[in-house]
Amino acid sequence: MARTDLSDDRELTEEQKLFKESISDWAERNLPLERVIEMNREGYPFPEDIIQGLAELGVIMGPVPEEHGGMGLTWKDQIAIAEQIGYIDPSIATAAGFMAVETGWGFTLNRYCTEEVRKKYIQPAIKGEKFVGIATTEPKGGSDVAGFESTAEKEGDEWVLNGEKTFISGVEECRRMGGGYWVNVRTGPQIEGAPHKNMTSFFVPIDADGLEPQEPYDDAGRGSLSTSGFIMEDVRVPEEYMLGEKGKGFYHTMEGFDLARIMIGASAIGVTRRVLEEAADYIKERETFGKPLAKYEGIQFPFVERYTEMEASKLMVKKVADMADTRYDEEGWVERTGKAQTYKPTEIAKWISMIKYKVPHLAKDTADDAMHWLGAAGYSSEYIFETAWRGVMSYCVGAEGGANIQKIVIGRETLGKDYVPYK
Amino acid sequence: MRFVVLVKQVPDTTEVEVDEETGTIIREGVPSTLNAFDEFALNAAVDIKEKTEEEVEIIALSMGPPQAEETLNKCLAIGADRAILLTDRAFAGADTWATAVTLSRALKKIGNIDLIFAGQEASDGNTAQVGPEVAAHHGLPQVTYVSEIEEVDPKEEYIVCKKERDEGHVRIKSDMPAILACMPDPGFEPKIPNVREIMKAKKKPKEQWGIEELDGQEDDYGLEGSESVVVETYSPPPKEEGIKIEEEPEKSVDELLKFLDEEGIL
Repeated sequence: MARTDLSDDRELTEEQKLFKESISDWAERNLPLERVIEMNREGYPFPEDIIQGLAELGVIMGPVPEEHGGMGLTWKDQIAIAEQIGYIDPSIATAAGFMAVETGWGFTLNRYCTEEVRKKYIQPAIKGEKFVGIATTEPKGGSDVAGFESTAEKEGDEWVLNGEKTFISGVEECRRMGGGYWVNVRTGPQIEGAPHKNMTSFFVPIDADGLEPQEPYDDAGRGSLSTSGFIMEDVRVPEEYMLGEKGKGFYHTMEGFDLARIMIGASAIGVTRRVLEEAADYIKERETFGKPLAKYEGIQFPFVERYTEMEASKLMVKKVADMADTRYDEEGWVERTGKAQTYKPTEIAKWISMIKYKVPHLAKDTADDAMHWLGAAGYSSEYIFETAWRGVMSYCVGAEGGANIQKIVIGRETLGKDYVPYK
Repeated sequence: MRFVVLVKQVPDTTEVEVDEETGTIIREGVPSTLNAFDEFALNAAVDIKEKTEEEVEIIALSMGPPQAEETLNKCLAIGADRAILLTDRAFAGADTWATAVTLSRALKKIGNIDLIFAGQEASDGNTAQVGPEVAAHHGLPQVTYVSEIEEVDPKEEYIVCKKERDEGHVRIKSDMPAILACMPDPGFEPKIPNVREIMKAKKKPKEQWGIEELDGQEDDYGLEGSESVVVETYSPPPKEEGIKIEEEPEKSVDELLKFLDEEGIL
């Protein structure tokens, strides 16, 4: 029986189709599902041959302009890539490390960094030689992006950073490969009622004196990518390592979140499609009471419901990527006033939050359903479902903003600012 | 040097369905891909280009419907410098002869070719005729079942390649220009174009040639220009289950003789 194929790429450009084909061909040789499961079981660090392979494929930080060492891809190009990365690695580790962190955040990092940081860190990261990431969460909170405690004080030409960051993706990989993190600190007093003010972003090298990486956590899923944190004690960085403007870190950070969330939405579409295809192959073959499982409405109907939700989600992700292509420029998210250009930046944030809330949950629920359809086989790590379920759960509970944070944004834009819970 | 690689878009499936009325392959709704033998031929051409100090232009040439452009895009991403699609309603329904006529006229128009690369055969028709027919049209030397090109000397105008045979392989030296019908070793892994190469390919020149760009009359091409007619296309019936005799040698011979006798074979 021919393998189930639920991709529908007819609306993609010729180049986008070829991106997906190349990623699949590469994965067939280097990252088949068996290796994804094995990597997840063996744990971090993420294998360097895979990082090198991704870099050679050119899928890391595609939208970075060509003059900065990127490929100048559109965001619609990049969601085609992110979807296929989620498809080949449903454990979400590759998508987490190299689509959300390195590509979504990497793009914003490149946008706000100086030429020195770009040459020393961003361009090598595009080549798979270094790892760059984002460190916003602190022991006292993560969802409350402006509610952190780390500080920076200026001494001469340098800034001296102190504080602790936790639940950070890729610290172990970064420590081994070299690289660094986008770190938010307070460069002035916390202002009552406006905690996002005086927030400044810096690029901090992982090997900076005074930066102490912590032991990785034993996470439920996406096992091949480390999650840990680091403590900063009098870490000194030069003025050139400030990202963007002093005191504007909150706004710069939200841009990074927006782009990373788009990457996650697209990757979760790929996870959902892979789970559905793998499940379809099984339920069409496996018989019970003399009939294939796929004939039973208890299985077929939830299958088509998830498939329908996936196609609907795909349209949402495409809409948001189109917003990024048309409304995101050197000024950040901009409000255009021409016809059909009427989205305010906060409305765009609503759409991004809708995909970040919806699509990882869809992927997780689909993997959950698939385990029920396959029974004991689905629960076994011989199949991809439980690995996918554990991995994508990280994007339901937190990474790049938990589901409830997304709902607050959606609620603010639909019911009005008077109903936000934090005021 | 100028290399031309003949490529074909084929159905990306092992389960080809045939229209019972027309006897032709159903292509609608079936994903397409670059014929694997042609992909190897293109990789071989790109390999030479990457290794030689000579300037090399690689042209990917295909005949097919407009959607065959997808295959040419992939060829450009793999390393072809230019692509030409021969597409015209008049070319439809061509057998291998008419296909070779069309390709040969395009090759003549391209001109100054040092090597023509082709796949040994296409996975949809498996005739292995087009390459040799093109060679015949141009009076060129041909080497078939080429698994490796060991040497290309444009100054002395010769090539040395490895030709696979049932009993092993032979090394063949041929004059240039020549046509090479290529067949990969089982372990061959084609080059995977990366994002940068795919984006670069977008800017490479692509042309479409129809009957107006080629010499000849309409009845030289397509169904009218074909020398063969498909009378019937069918899938062979599956083999019937055989009989296995599992006895000691002496007894099994008796069993076999008894069976052959009963069947009236002896």
